[in-house]
Amino acid sequence: MSRASDDGKGPTAYGSPEDFKRAVQEMQATFPTEGVVSTHPDDLFAHGFSTNVYHEGIPHSVVVYPQSTEDVVKIVKIANNYRMPVVAYSGATSLEGHFIGTKGGGICVDMSGMDKILEIHESDSDLVCQPGVGWVEINHALKEQGIPLFFPIDPAPTATIGGMLSTGCSGSETINSMESFLLDTHHTPANAVRYGTAKGEWFLNATVVLPSGEVIKTRQRSRKSSAGFDVTKLFIGAEGTLGIVTEVTIRLAPVVPTTVATAQFPDVRSASEAVIEILNHGVGIQCVELCDAAFMEATNLHGPSGRKYAVTDHLFFKLQGPTQASLKETARIVQEVAKKHGGSSFKVAKNDEEAEDMWADRKNAHYSSLLWGGEGTKAWATDVCVPISKLPELVYETQKDIERSGIKGPIVGHAGDGNFHSLLLFKTDEELVKVRDLVHRMVERAIAREGTCMHGEHGVGIGKREFLYEELGEGTVKLMKKIKKTIDPLNLFNPGKLYPDAPKSKSSSGDGH
Amino acid sequence: MLRSSPLRCGTRALCRVPASSTPSHLSRDISRRASYSTSNGAEPKTQTWCRTCVGASVLLSGLALSIFLTRPSTSSHDKKSRSSSKYASPDEVKTAISALRSALKPDQVLTDPDVLLSYGSSDNTYHHSSPHAVVVLPRSTEDVIEVVNVARQYRVPIVPYSGATSLEGQFAGFKGESICIDMSGMDKILAIHKDDADLVCQAGARWEDINETLKDKGIPLFFPLDPGPGATIGGMVGTGCSGTNAVRYGTARGEWFLNLTVVLPNGKVIKTKRRACKSATGFDTTKLFIGAEGTLGIVTEATLRLAPVLPTRVALAQFPDAEKAVSAVQEILLSPYGSNMQCIEFLDENSMISFTSFETTYLTFYPSASCSLLNVSPDGYPLADPADALLQAAGHVGHDRLRGSAAGSVKTIAGAHSGSNFQFARTDEEAESLWEVRKYALVATLGWRQQGDRLWTTDVCVPVSKLPELVYETQKDMNEHGVTATIVGHVGDGNFHSFMLFHDDKELEKVSAAVHRLVHHAIDLDGTCTGEHGVGLGKKEYLVGELGEGTVELMRSIKQTIDPLNIMNPGKLYPDPSEVANKAVTRDKAV
Ligand SMILES: Cc1cc2nc3c(=O)[nH]c(=O)nc-3n(C[C@H](O)[C@H](O)[C@H](O)COP(=O)(O)OP(=O)(O)OC[C@H]3O[C@@H](n4cnc5c(N)ncnc54)[C@H](O)[C@@H]3O)c2cc1C
Ligand SMILES: Cc1cc2nc3c(=O)[nH]c(=O)nc-3n(C[C@H](O)[C@H](O)[C@H](O)COP(=O)(O)OP(=O)(O)OC[C@H]3O[C@@H](n4cnc5c(N)ncnc54)[C@H](O)[C@@H]3O)c2cc1C
Repeated sequence: MSRASDDGKGPTAYGSPEDFKRAVQEMQATFPTEGVVSTHPDDLFAHGFSTNVYHEGIPHSVVVYPQSTEDVVKIVKIANNYRMPVVAYSGATSLEGHFIGTKGGGICVDMSGMDKILEIHESDSDLVCQPGVGWVEINHALKEQGIPLFFPIDPAPTATIGGMLSTGCSGSETINSMESFLLDTHHTPANAVRYGTAKGEWFLNATVVLPSGEVIKTRQRSRKSSAGFDVTKLFIGAEGTLGIVTEVTIRLAPVVPTTVATAQFPDVRSASEAVIEILNHGVGIQCVELCDAAFMEATNLHGPSGRKYAVTDHLFFKLQGPTQASLKETARIVQEVAKKHGGSSFKVAKNDEEAEDMWADRKNAHYSSLLWGGEGTKAWATDVCVPISKLPELVYETQKDIERSGIKGPIVGHAGDGNFHSLLLFKTDEELVKVRDLVHRMVERAIAREGTCMHGEHGVGIGKREFLYEELGEGTVKLMKKIKKTIDPLNLFNPGKLYPDAPKSKSSSGDGH
Repeated sequence: MLRSSPLRCGTRALCRVPASSTPSHLSRDISRRASYSTSNGAEPKTQTWCRTCVGASVLLSGLALSIFLTRPSTSSHDKKSRSSSKYASPDEVKTAISALRSALKPDQVLTDPDVLLSYGSSDNTYHHSSPHAVVVLPRSTEDVIEVVNVARQYRVPIVPYSGATSLEGQFAGFKGESICIDMSGMDKILAIHKDDADLVCQAGARWEDINETLKDKGIPLFFPLDPGPGATIGGMVGTGCSGTNAVRYGTARGEWFLNLTVVLPNGKVIKTKRRACKSATGFDTTKLFIGAEGTLGIVTEATLRLAPVLPTRVALAQFPDAEKAVSAVQEILLSPYGSNMQCIEFLDENSMISFTSFETTYLTFYPSASCSLLNVSPDGYPLADPADALLQAAGHVGHDRLRGSAAGSVKTIAGAHSGSNFQFARTDEEAESLWEVRKYALVATLGWRQQGDRLWTTDVCVPVSKLPELVYETQKDMNEHGVTATIVGHVGDGNFHSFMLFHDDKELEKVSAAVHRLVHHAIDLDGTCTGEHGVGLGKKEYLVGELGEGTVELMRSIKQTIDPLNIMNPGKLYPDPSEVANKAVTRDKAV
């Protein structure tokens, strides 16, 4: 493997501006229908930037809106002919600069028009769809049709299946994770969080256009297959760097009755300790979310339900069970354990409406927090994950660190996964410096506790590239790069994302660690 | 669990004593494996050769030193072999063996012909098999690196081997010129993190030992993947296995392997991930090794996710046919109690008949009923009084109101689909013994017809809704062609196995043809040629049909990237043994 392509840059490898111009013309000729190929500056700009991230945007040269797998193949063939980078784009909710343009120009393939649900197999609990359809729409369609199934992965409300597969997203962050646990659970069980198959088995197969223009379908529709290693998994989390997904079969989970409860705690540490014990009880917890006092303050002011909460550290529970009686019983047990850890004011939603309201407050964390920061506030959303036994200490220290810095930074977390987020708010450059330091310390603390410094769930994009070596070790990163190079030798797909440049000093983490 | 079984029988599958000639840790191994055996008369053979091997290895260790002295300088050798044919010549293999002897301790390198033969073949499969040139017994990741380096340097194929329970010829020798690396001696549990519900172990650890250890230590956690008795973590990663618990817990392809330490073909060691549970750090390279059948690297250590132990119960219902049974299962799984099901197993009429030759202490079978169904349920909701109902659950006291509701519900569903003869295991022992009946289905089939029968086991998986059709057609097909077989299945997943009996070559031919029809039928129904047993040698030919040339080609190019010399378990998994030579051609066709 040559050094040059190692860092995925080789500037000479791409076509000249002239080539790119011809590529755009050829695309216009291939897709003569109005609106399929756009070079409108607003479009180029809108697709290359994101208000959700602090990373600088770069506009694309052209945006194309394919309608079918065949369209995508045509685009990729043209990209090959003119050596032009290709960036897939879908719900545009990713948080690490995943879809920003390529320096020097490139094609943005906007998959959001390929948004059809193609087949629902109720008796097999699976569904075949195009990648541009959102998880919210899928769940809505299932409900409409009276099918008691749903897709449990729930990142941002407008995220799409293609983007979710490609970021290997797992549940929710601001929007929360209720069902992320479910997802963790392979069919919803009691001790949900512990059963985890996060990047597990929810994507049964994918139809993918490879950088060569070849189309593959990774697997058949059956739930299990041991026909070699599963190449579906290669595309999960690949962030559009290995192929463009054009069709997906997803697995669905049965809808089970749930309710929501909250409890107050003296501090985040005791709250997290309660979580660990509750999970060990094996009762019907679908998700348990940590919400710190800062977040409760933001919610009191800007939460969608208008409910008022005590400004103190909270746990939000989503309980699940086959019957109302079992829900009550679970609530009783949870309350008992919470009490043991200093929890108080345990509240269970009186009815579905109240439950929805309370959960919506949790789900809206990102936006309530932004509003709390006031006009012109920007946010650095960050996310770490540690083995759950290390969580109480880590959250506690992080919260104290944030308080000391004077930065507003609500903490919310999928506590059951050992995963939490802080949304660090800033307006000025000085504050940004403080924020950056905070993030840095948070990451270091997590790594020191065998955690993942990157996002437990937001992926790499450009935001987290630099941490990849530290996180995975040189050998593993090399392996990833090798695979990238094998599948995309011209480095056309989403260049500059995911794979870090080779570390400057050779001394850092070796192959083995 | 096995200890209390009223069923004591085994094929050689269950009592193989492959690593027999090694010291200490394996003597335990021998007795353990031997304890799986009894009736069927197949085992004495095994025990005899195990004694022979022990003698042999003592002898060989003496020889090691002298060979060592004649080892050539490595760098010149490297050049030479590159210019000659692809793999080492017999002479070069000999040199490689002496290099292995110098790299490892004498008792870690075995070349007794019986040992080589037994390591290269499996009584579970009827695929082409061949002995190895040498068997090595590493004790550490460093040992494995040494072995891989020697293999690479001399271009000797290397075949990872562990529990040896895989069923598609995955660990067969390569033309008598391969290094078999037996990982089963690296079987230590290195750390148990109770609060994080994970466990770190070496690749040779058996899932049953892990669960037993947890139980002995009073830790209420377990590892839910449960393939064949004797299977090990490394092999389970290798085949991407599942097991009966998959209904509730999924398969090896889910999130049960949190990270792996792998020795790559280039001798480098990687750790695929950190220990934290969630991670969105790009695509997950752990998944590359799951189902790779030892073709991409050798796993030496793994971090496993554990699940809490919940009490379970077993019940049995009988149905007039497969279709009724499957539709009942579907309805149960979609009901609010669906998530309480841990396993749902299907046994066809023939299976039930075959069990009558077994003594079961507790339950009555009705072999005349067409189909039966076993299931187990754990869960957070105590639902039923074991004395009178179907489902039981994890005990919180004070759940009186709930008692019976799940049981009632499941019984009603079964009834609505013509289920009858409902039986419920009243005690843990009953439950265990009933469940073991399922675990020993293969053995029961083997002993069913006549002495000296052998069987071909196959494994397909289709979307659940297609299962009745496939079972029906398969039963019909086998009747028409005079094949005697049983069908059992992990019905909750759409996965079933057929155990086809044969006595001689003529019957084998019939069976082989039936297997082919079955596999093609499954693929036509949007299914897979292998739900859980993997590809090995046995299913290679179907891979392109199932996955498409493009996907297979992608797998091949990944293989080629990671293992450019094709030294890791060559000939397995990837269809077309001369793939490298033909690559250009296939590419042309594909584009
Ligand atoms: C308020 C908010 C809350 C969030 N909460 C969570 C959370 O709880 N958990 C979580 O994991 N994430 C969360 N996220 C992040 C984000 O929602 C996820 O990363 C999501 O998976 C992105 O999906 P998308 O459709 O928006 O993809 P995009 O942002 O459009 O794209 C993401 C990446 O996938 C690639 N891509 C898109 N479509 C395709 C395709 N068809 N083929 C190949 N590559 C493709 C793109 O090139 C890009 O690299 C949140 C974001 C926001 C704004
Ligand atoms: C009675 C019986 C019942 C069974 N039931 C099931 C079932 O329900 N579900 C199921 O999935 N399977 C089942 N199997 C098949 C078998 O148990 C599984 O395939 C199991 O995963 C194999 O594990 P092993 O340790 O025996 O591996 P082995 O047979 O030793 O090896 C399997 C493969 O993995 C490779 N390998 C071994 N160790 C390593 C390592 N350390 N690193 C890299 N590669 C390695 C080998 O080269 C080989 O290709 C059953 C088998 C029997 C005999």
